[in-house]
Amino acid sequence: MNIKKNINRQNIIALLPLAALAVLFLIFCTMVNAKGYRLDMYLKIVFNEALVLAIVATGATFIYTLGTFDISLGASTLFSATLGVMVYNKTENIALMMAVILLTGIVCSLLNSVLASIFHIPAFVTTVAMMSVLSAVSAQIITVNGGALGGINIPSSVVKPFDNMPFKIAVLLLFFAISVFVFEFTKAGRRMKFVGGNPLCAYLTGIKADKYTILAFVMAGIGIGLGAFLTLVYTPSVTTTTASSIGMNIFIAIVFGGMPISGGARSKIYAALVGGFSYMLLNDILEIVIDSSAAYGITQVISAVFFLIVVYITGMNYKTALLPR
Amino acid sequence: MSTLKKILKILAIPAAVAVVLEGICLANGQTIISGAKSFDNFVVYTAIVMITTMALSINLNSGRFDFSLGAMAGLSSVIGAKITYSFLKGGSGSALLMLVITVLAGALLGLISGAVYCALRLPPIIVSLGVTLVYEGIMYTITGGKYLMSEVQNRSMSGFVGTWVYAAVIIASVLIFMIIVFERTSFGYDYNALKSGQKVAVATGINEVKNALICYTICGGLMGLVGMLNAARNTTINGGQLNFGSIAIMFTAFLPMFIAGYIGRFGNEKVGFLLSALCMSLLNSTFAVFSNQINATTQSIINAVLLVIFLIYLNNNHLIKRIFAHV
Amino acid sequence: MNRKVTKVLGLAMAAAMTVMTGCGSSAPAAVSDTTDNSADNAVGSETSVDQGETRKIGVLVADVSGEEALGFRNYYEKYIQNNYNVTFDYTDALASAEDEKAAIEKFASKGYDAVISLSSSDRVQQIETCEEYGIYYAVASGVLDESQYETYKTYEHFVGQVGPSNETEFEAGKEMGKYFKDKGVKSVAIYGAFIPNPMHVYRAAGVIAGLGDTYGGTDDMNGMIGQIFQDQGVDLTKVSGDVEVIAYLQGYGDTTTDELNAAIQKAPEAFISVGMATTFFAQTLSQENIPFSDIDSFTAMNSESMKNGSLEYLAGKYSSSIGPVFALVMDAIDGNVIRDPEGNAVSFTQGYLVATDAESFDKYYVNDNGDTPIFDKASLDGIIGQDVTYDDVKALIESK
Repeated sequence: MNIKKNINRQNIIALLPLAALAVLFLIFCTMVNAKGYRLDMYLKIVFNEALVLAIVATGATFIYTLGTFDISLGASTLFSATLGVMVYNKTENIALMMAVILLTGIVCSLLNSVLASIFHIPAFVTTVAMMSVLSAVSAQIITVNGGALGGINIPSSVVKPFDNMPFKIAVLLLFFAISVFVFEFTKAGRRMKFVGGNPLCAYLTGIKADKYTILAFVMAGIGIGLGAFLTLVYTPSVTTTTASSIGMNIFIAIVFGGMPISGGARSKIYAALVGGFSYMLLNDILEIVIDSSAAYGITQVISAVFFLIVVYITGMNYKTALLPR
Repeated sequence: MSTLKKILKILAIPAAVAVVLEGICLANGQTIISGAKSFDNFVVYTAIVMITTMALSINLNSGRFDFSLGAMAGLSSVIGAKITYSFLKGGSGSALLMLVITVLAGALLGLISGAVYCALRLPPIIVSLGVTLVYEGIMYTITGGKYLMSEVQNRSMSGFVGTWVYAAVIIASVLIFMIIVFERTSFGYDYNALKSGQKVAVATGINEVKNALICYTICGGLMGLVGMLNAARNTTINGGQLNFGSIAIMFTAFLPMFIAGYIGRFGNEKVGFLLSALCMSLLNSTFAVFSNQINATTQSIINAVLLVIFLIYLNNNHLIKRIFAHV
Repeated sequence: MNRKVTKVLGLAMAAAMTVMTGCGSSAPAAVSDTTDNSADNAVGSETSVDQGETRKIGVLVADVSGEEALGFRNYYEKYIQNNYNVTFDYTDALASAEDEKAAIEKFASKGYDAVISLSSSDRVQQIETCEEYGIYYAVASGVLDESQYETYKTYEHFVGQVGPSNETEFEAGKEMGKYFKDKGVKSVAIYGAFIPNPMHVYRAAGVIAGLGDTYGGTDDMNGMIGQIFQDQGVDLTKVSGDVEVIAYLQGYGDTTTDELNAAIQKAPEAFISVGMATTFFAQTLSQENIPFSDIDSFTAMNSESMKNGSLEYLAGKYSSSIGPVFALVMDAIDGNVIRDPEGNAVSFTQGYLVATDAESFDKYYVNDNGDTPIFDKASLDGIIGQDVTYDDVKALIESK
């Protein structure tokens, strides 16, 4: 009886991130309507705000599943977009630009995994170093080539055909579907969770962690590439601050979506998608409710407290006697 | 390993860094420390790096990743500056009063952070994400997102960093405090036991929550000290750091932390923090000497590359030794 | 079971979001799917504003903490809002072009009438987004690059720009450099602020030219700024002339204090800053008794540095210098979109005012404060109305 109760409780708690998304969505719609704002437009804004975050974070979920994290994802997105713009301006070839963006995302990510795997450096430290290097190199390229304009850009007409909801939704769904497939229905996905949950045990059963680390970073790289392209679709210019908020928001999105930061078997591929949209909805709700530009600090405090509460409740299933590390 | 050999190993990195950097400076007709003022700054920056690194390592060594270090430093210094200014209006004794209040505020912020961690029992990295956002938000609300200037621009504050003496006293005090607390008290023994084996340590009756709370409190107090030193050194406090704008401070502490870890293999890790901070301060001063040639972008690349190279060496030195043995 | 339900629900929620947004895109005003900028799409202009209705203006800001930014904000939120039937909605510090675009879209969905920009990550994108949503747009700080202005000056909702042009920035720097050269100063230190910020690049080039020096063998504005952008700062080996630049620093980070002290030890006769020195270095420079100059604004802190510190030269703007932009936007909202004689969006250059002593500083500072700004209601009323012309606005701006 107790076991059944416990399972039910666990099921309910596991659904909480989704419930939170649903509740936030309803509150958001209510608030926007109550204020007399245009709901259709506001929803599109939220979608655009969350889209790049959700895609990059979904790719990053593979890394987090292994029990590590990557702080350089924002910088990698910036670097990919920067190279994409440079290539387009040299060749005026959109296909080549897209290929370069995707490839750069993958290479940046792979470089992290190679450094971590081959040289046995903690992955998070390599990503800290990579963040500095990629941001610095991008800044150098942007300022040297941007000159008095302060940034580099491509003509907006080039990406205009992609700046529509069907295309963006299709990209999101396609990448999400691929991620779900790799994560849930392949041996690689299952092994990643195993490695993340218990690396020693995985090693003893003959699983080569390095192989799956590289695969995880490749998936993250694809996310970075797509994120960088969609960033350019939204604003076809790159400045030194492009994608600057993504890096840390990925943490929030993944955890908000109900995935444990320690990775392993409890990892959820949909966490980033759910968490990304929830976090953006929450911020926009607070922005609408506290309709004063002087209250940005208070908005952030409330948002952070709400985040901790949601994560606390969703993590109730996994409380241990020892303090978690 | 003989004592002499240990001492040589301990001093090898700082000595090598000093020789190489001074050599580069001399080759260009410059010197790292070009005068009394330069030396004052050198010591103050050494104190900032050493204390930040210690604060980072207290929790990181125990597997607790803490993003909130910068937010604690910023918020505690804002609290210290505001309260001090309301009493003394920038008059004499401002620096001393602000030092005391900032350290106490930092300790309190650390304690709150630790209490949230212990109460929620969430992974510390997640708690620190939330705490960082909360502290940044409070700091923004108190300051209105502005730079605090009049509160920290006075003779007392400039006198505080106008000589190397106070910074040196702080370095010595913190070093002694950390050695005593972490190596000579029951808290320190418990800390080391928990660090090495959490499960076994708790099973033997060690109060993990109490230990964690003390760790966070000390960490907060240290970051308060860093906040105070930064406020005096920069003559401003940036109150507008939202959306994780405050976390960069911790990234500067990674390299010295790993260097200290290496030095700690041959001697006291706390002394390693001082020596690694000296290395970073030498590098910083060299960057200042060549600021016209090496811009901020290049500096961050150099720092990142040094971090990676050092870690490659640190984690593969047995292989490197083997390779060289065969050559 | 649980996992399946979770997945299905997750996809359902994401689908709900996308369907809702998809619905939005088919609505008349949500036009990002199309290049059509027809009146159907115009959110702001759809709302007919009569004289009694409160006008809503969104303000894009990148800097929320600088002295100048705070002065501007006070003027709009305290003075203008109290004297006109208008509300201003300031954004948070916008960090990127994406943030700017999202902020404009939010203003549009709230039915705002106009956007005034004090943020410059991507001005082109700002104009295009405002045009797309039919919101009036004006630049109140800095101006567009010449080629950008040429491209967008015919846009229906681009009201115009009022602020120092790049040439004005260069001239402001040049005047500042010349001031010290004329004083007979032989060695200076320069703070390049946040080069490669274009404004700071132009000012720094101007300072070098004003000192009578050359950069890379030229004192021509375009020749100098091209090199400074390329060098990412001022390379002292390229500076030559009578006045020696003995130290140069830029940015603000861990090494700045060391760099400042290294500069001080070289005993410059003056410290010339192209921005933010009064925030970062006023105390140290005053303590060391080194005369310094800056391009900033007339604020209480700078007044203190001028009276009791060693601030000797300040080129600044009135906090109310953004008044004419507001007037132009009000006119546009009320149906009188003012155009220049060629029928294009207006472009007015505002110069800097220079204070070299406490008396001249106070003249600008005190006069522009509180309830008596330079661009007060009486003067702005002269350029707000249905009959106001380009010449009226030009005359007022040039008179101040």
